[in-house]
Amino acid sequence: MKKSKNKISELLTRDLTRIIASALLLILAIIFEGSTMPEGVSVGLYTIALAIAGCKVFFDAARGILRRDLLDEKFLMSVASVGAMIIGEHGEGVAVMLFFLLGEAFEKHAVKRSRASIRALMDIRPDEARVILDGEERMEDAEDVKIGSVISVRAGERVPIDSEIILGSASVDTSGMTGEAIPRSYKTGDIIESGVVVLDGTLILKTVRTAENSAASRILALVEEAGENKSVEERFITKFSRFYTPIVVVSALVLAVFLPIFNITSLENAIYRALMFLVISCPCALVISVPMAFFGGIGGAASRGILYKGGNVFAPLASLTAVAFDKTGTLTTGKFEIQKALPKGISEEELIELAAMAEAGSNHPIATALSNVSHSKKKPVTQTEYAGEGIVAVFSDMTLAVGNGTLMQRLGVELDDALEGAILVARDGVFVGELILSDSVKTEASNTVSSLYSLGVKTTVMLSGDKREKALAVAETVGISKALFELSPEQKYEQLRLLRSANEKVAYVGDGINDAPALALADVGIAMGGVGQDAAIESADVVIMSDSLDRIPEAIKISRMVLAIAKFNIAFALAVKLLILILGALNIANMWLAVFADVGVAVIAILNSMRTLISRRPKV
Amino acid sequence: MKIRYTITGLDCPNCAAKLANMIEGKEGISSAKINFLTEKLTVETELNEREAYGIVESTAKAFSRDIKVEK
Repeated sequence: MKKSKNKISELLTRDLTRIIASALLLILAIIFEGSTMPEGVSVGLYTIALAIAGCKVFFDAARGILRRDLLDEKFLMSVASVGAMIIGEHGEGVAVMLFFLLGEAFEKHAVKRSRASIRALMDIRPDEARVILDGEERMEDAEDVKIGSVISVRAGERVPIDSEIILGSASVDTSGMTGEAIPRSYKTGDIIESGVVVLDGTLILKTVRTAENSAASRILALVEEAGENKSVEERFITKFSRFYTPIVVVSALVLAVFLPIFNITSLENAIYRALMFLVISCPCALVISVPMAFFGGIGGAASRGILYKGGNVFAPLASLTAVAFDKTGTLTTGKFEIQKALPKGISEEELIELAAMAEAGSNHPIATALSNVSHSKKKPVTQTEYAGEGIVAVFSDMTLAVGNGTLMQRLGVELDDALEGAILVARDGVFVGELILSDSVKTEASNTVSSLYSLGVKTTVMLSGDKREKALAVAETVGISKALFELSPEQKYEQLRLLRSANEKVAYVGDGINDAPALALADVGIAMGGVGQDAAIESADVVIMSDSLDRIPEAIKISRMVLAIAKFNIAFALAVKLLILILGALNIANMWLAVFADVGVAVIAILNSMRTLISRRPKV
Repeated sequence: MKIRYTITGLDCPNCAAKLANMIEGKEGISSAKINFLTEKLTVETELNEREAYGIVESTAKAFSRDIKVEK
C-alpha cells in the first residue's frame, strides 16, 4: 500500500518536472520568435517543448489507437497540439499540451486528496486484533478471529470486533461511529461495537461476531455500496458523456471540411477552429466533479454518523415536505423503566420475573427494560414475536405471553375490565397482571421538529402504536402537529400511504422491526440508532448511527449542499463549454479560451466539489 | 458470483468507465463496475476466481500499463 502511494507522488513530481522544463522552453521560444534570430531556432524550441511535455500523452494516444479508441481524450489532445504546430500556431500548440498536463496533475492531486480524506473518515476498522490464548497475547488478522475469542483492547486503541466486555470498564469515544463527541462509559457485561476508541483503561473482551459482520465493516460496506446507487445527476453525466465527445468531434470534422468548401474561410483557419473543438471535447470536468460531490457528501456525512444508502437519496431528502415519526425509541429515548406493577393472583416480583423471562434475548425496548431486573437463567424453548402486539415464549413447563390487548385476544386470554392498557402478562392462557412502563422524550426532539419546519417541511406526523394520552402528550411536548395513536404496523403503513398519495414527499423516521415496511414505503426511510436492527437498516435509505434526532435536519442540509454543488457544476461546465464552442466556431474564441473551457472549468468544478469533503468531524 | 478487487492507477472516471465496459464485454463476465473514488472494481461472473482474475488483469494491462488490480 505504501509503495503505491510513493509511486503516485513520484509520478506527480515527474509530471511537474516535465511541465516546468517545457514551460521554460516555451518562454524561450516566444522570446526568440520576437527577436532577429532565424525562425528555425524558435520552431525547433517549440517542437522540443512539445515533445517533452507530450511524450507520455502521445504514447498513451498510440495505445488508444491500438485499441481502436479514436475518441480517447489523449489522442484528441495530441491531434489538437500537433495540428496547431503544423498550421503554424506553435505557441498555442505547446500551450494546449502544457495546460492539459497541468490540469491532469491537478486532477490527480485533487482525487488523491479526496481519497485520503475519505479514507481518514472511514478509518474505523483495525486490521488486527490482540487475541489472548493460553495466557499469551498475540496479534492476529481481525478477519481470522473466531466468535467467542478473547481479545484485549488498550487505551487509545480501536475495538476491532463487536464484543462483550468480560473484564474492565472504560470511557469510550464513539465519534467515529456515531458522530457523538461526548465519550460514553462502558462496563463489564456491556456489548461494545467495533470502531469505537477506548480512551482509558484496558478492556478484556469476548467477541460476539466475526470481523466481517461487525459494525465497522458493515458501515464501510454500506458507504462503499452507496456509490453504486447513483443519483439522477450522476446518471445524466454518464449518458451525456457518451454522446458529448462524439458530437463535438464530428462537429470539428464538419467545420474543417465544410468551411473551406463553401469558401467561408481558409483551410488553415478552418482547421484551427476544428482543433479548438477537439480541445473542448472531453467532458472531464463533469465526469470527475459530479460523482465526487456525491461521494464527498456521503463520506463526510458518514463521519457525522449519518449513512446515506446512495446518491439517489439526496434529491428526495432535499425536497421533503412531510416527516412522519415513530414514537417509541425515535422521539422518546426507548429506555423504559417499570413505573408500576399490578399483579393479579401472584406477587409483584413474580410478575416482573415472568415478563422478563418471556422477553429475554429479544431486541424490543421493553425487553431491555426488563433485562435489568430479571434474575432467572431459564431460557425459553421457542419465542415468537408478533409485530406491534407482543411476544409469546414457550418454556418446558409453561407458556408465557407478554404484550397488548390484541395479543391477548389472539390467544383468547380472558382479561379484567379495569385495565390501564399497558403491558399485559399471561401464563398458560391465564391473565396474571400488567406492567406500566414509561420512557422520556429525547431532549433534542422539539428543536429537531422546529428546525425541520424552518427547512421547509410543512407537515409533521407522529404514528404511534401507543395509547392516546401518552401519544398526545409526546406530540405536544415536541411540537408535532398531528398525532395518530393505537396504530398497528399495518395501519402505520396505511397512514403513510395516505400521506404520500396527498402529494407529499414523505420521510419516515423509525427504528425496530415494526417499522421496516413503513421505512421501505416512505420516499426517504430514516432508521435511528445504528446498525443493530437488520430489518430496519435493510429497508431504510438513511441510517443515523447515534440516537440523536438532530442529525435529520443535518442530513437534509448536507443533501441540499451536495445537490447545489452538483447542479452548479453541471450548469457551469455546460454553459462555458457551449459558449466557447459557439465562439470557436465563429472564430471569436482562440485556443487559450478553449484550454480554459477544458482544464480551467475542470479545476473549478473539482475545487467546488471538494467542498463537500470539508471534515464535519465533531470537535472533541 | 460477485468478486471485488482493488484497482489503482486509473487516470480518470472516464477511463474507468471505458475499462469497465471492456471487462464487461469479455466472455463469462456478466457485469463489471468501477468506483473511481474508492478504487473498487466489482465483477459478477460465473468463472472461478483464478479465471476471472486472469481476464480482469490482462484487460486492465492492455488498457494501460499503470493500472494494477489486486484481490
